[in-house]
Amino acid sequence: MILGLALAVFGVAVPFIGSPYMMGVVFQVAMWIALAQSWSMLSATTGYLSLGHAVFYGIGAYVCVLLTGTLPFELALLAAAGSAGLFAALVGMPVLRVRGPYFVILTYGLSELVRHVVMRIESALGSFGRMIFDVPSTEVLLWWMVGLAVLATLGAYAIRHSRFGAGLAAIREDEVAAETVGVPVTRLKLLAFIASAIIPGAVGGLALLRTSYFEPAQAFDPVISFTIVTMALVGGTETVRGPILGAVGFALLSELLWSSLPQLYMIVLGLTLIGFILFVPKGLSGLLGRIGRAA
Amino acid sequence: MAFLDIKGVSKRFGGLMALNDVSLQVEKGEIFGLMGANGAGKTTLFSVIAGHVAPSAGEVVFDGTRLTGLSPSRICRLGLCRTFQIVRPFAGLTVAENLRVAALYGSGRKLSASEIAAVVDEALQAVDLADRRHLDAAQLTLSGQKRLEIARALATGAELIMLDEVMAGLNPTEVSAMLATLERLRGEHGLTFVIVEHVIGALMTLSDRILVLDHGERIAFGTPEEIGNHKRVAEVYFG
Ligand SMILES: Nc1ncnc2c1ncn2[C@@H]1O[C@H](COP(=O)(O)OP(=O)(O)O)[C@@H](O)[C@H]1O
Ligand SMILES: [Mg+2]
Repeated sequence: MILGLALAVFGVAVPFIGSPYMMGVVFQVAMWIALAQSWSMLSATTGYLSLGHAVFYGIGAYVCVLLTGTLPFELALLAAAGSAGLFAALVGMPVLRVRGPYFVILTYGLSELVRHVVMRIESALGSFGRMIFDVPSTEVLLWWMVGLAVLATLGAYAIRHSRFGAGLAAIREDEVAAETVGVPVTRLKLLAFIASAIIPGAVGGLALLRTSYFEPAQAFDPVISFTIVTMALVGGTETVRGPILGAVGFALLSELLWSSLPQLYMIVLGLTLIGFILFVPKGLSGLLGRIGRAA
Repeated sequence: MAFLDIKGVSKRFGGLMALNDVSLQVEKGEIFGLMGANGAGKTTLFSVIAGHVAPSAGEVVFDGTRLTGLSPSRICRLGLCRTFQIVRPFAGLTVAENLRVAALYGSGRKLSASEIAAVVDEALQAVDLADRRHLDAAQLTLSGQKRLEIARALATGAELIMLDEVMAGLNPTEVSAMLATLERLRGEHGLTFVIVEHVIGALMTLSDRILVLDHGERIAFGTPEEIGNHKRVAEVYFG
C-alpha cells in the first residue's frame, strides 16, 4: 500500500520536477503496472495464465485511433476500455473452457488471430499506419496513465480481499470442488476475464495517444503479452505488490537495455523469467517478504 | 413427497451400465446407508444426484425441485452437497479458508462476516479440526482431509449431505467419534445424510435404512437388521 501510494504521488508530481525523459520512464512504468495488475486479476487469482493480453491493449488502441477526432479523448478512452471488456465477454465462454497449457496457447493464438485480422482490414482499406493529430499534452497523458495504474492496483486489491476473490482462489485450487460447494465457476471466471481486460483497453488507447501513431503489428505485438507475464511472475503472483515490483524492476531494466543493448532485450526477458520460475517461484515480492522476516 | 426422490436413474459409460434403473426415496432427517461392493455404482449415483454426471435416464427431485440438468453449484445452493471419496481439498488454502469459501457461496445468500466466521468455527469443531485451522489443507493427513471434506459440506449450510467413504482410513476410535458427530448433527440441525461406507459396522449402526447396489442394480433395501439377514446381500457382500 505504502509502496503504491509513494509511486502514485511521485507519478503525479513528476511533470513538475522531472525532465521529459523522466516523464517517459514514469509513463512506461505506470503502463506496465496497470497491465500486469490487470493481468493478475484473472491469472494470479484463478491460475488461468493468459498469454494474450496484448489483444486487449491492441483493441483499445484501435478503437481509440478510430474515435479520436470524432470524440473527446476521454470518451475515446472509455470506449477503448469498454470494447476490450466487450471482446472478453464475447470470447470468454469458449476460451475459458480449457485449462492449463491449452488456455495459455489459446489466448496467445486468439491474440495473434485478431492481430492478423486487423492487419488485413487495415491493408484492405489501404492504410499503412494511421497518424493522429491534436493529442492531449504529455502531462495529461501521464496523469491518466498513473491513474490507471492506481485504479488497477486498487481493483486487484479489492478483488483479492472480496467474496469474488475467495471464489477465484477456490477455482485455482480445484474447479470441481469449487463448483461442488456452490461457487458459480463459469460465471466467476468470465467476470474475472472481463475485469482483467478493461484497463488494458484504456492503456492501449493512452499508449496510442502518446505515440500518436497506430500500426496493427505494433499495437497487437505479442511481446506485450510476454512482457506482462514476465513482470507479473518475476514480481510474484501471491500479493498485490508483486506486479508493481515486477513492473518497476523490469521497466527500469529495459530502459537500461534499450539504450545500451536493444538486441539483448528479449534474451534478458527470457532468462529472467526462467531464473525466477526455477529459483524464486514467489517472485520479488516473496523475496522481500523473506528478507523482511529475517531482519 | 420424499425429501430426495430418485426416479429410475440409469447411467451408461460406453458398454457398462454403472446404474440400472435405480429408484430410492430419502426422508428428511434420516440417515440413509448405501452399500455395495467396489464398482457397484455408489459414487456414480452421488455424482448423478449432485449434478456432476448427467444420467442416461431418470431424474432426481430434491425438496420439490427437479435437479436433473442443474449445475453442481446450483444444486449446492439449493441445499444438497456431496463429499468426494478421492478427496479434493483446496490444497493451497488453509483449512479455515477452505471452509470460508463453502460458507461464502454454499447457501446462495449473503452472510455477514460474523455469520461466516461462526459457520467456519462450527464446522471446524464438528470434525475436530479447530487446532489445525491455519495449516494448508495439503499438510493434513488423509484422515484430516476426509474430515475437511465433511466440514466443507457442512459449511455450505446444506440440509442434505452425501458422504462418500469418509471413514475409510480412520481408526476405530475416530470412527466412533465420527458416528457420534453425525448423530449429533442430525439431532441438532435436522440434517439428512446419505452415506456410503466400507466400514460396514459403522453403516449398520448409523443408518435408519440401507439400500444395497450390485452392478448398478438394487438388490436389497430395508432396515440394518433386514439387510443383515438378507440372503443375496450375504452372497454378494461376504462372498
Ligand atoms: N467416468 C467414468 N467413465 C467410465 N466408467 C466409469 C466412470 N466412473 C465410474 N465408472 C465405472 O462405473 C462403475 C461404478 O463405479 P463407481 O460408481 O465408482 O462404483 P463404487 O463407488 O460403488 O465403487 C465402475 O465399473 C467404474 O469403473
Ligand atoms: Mg466409490
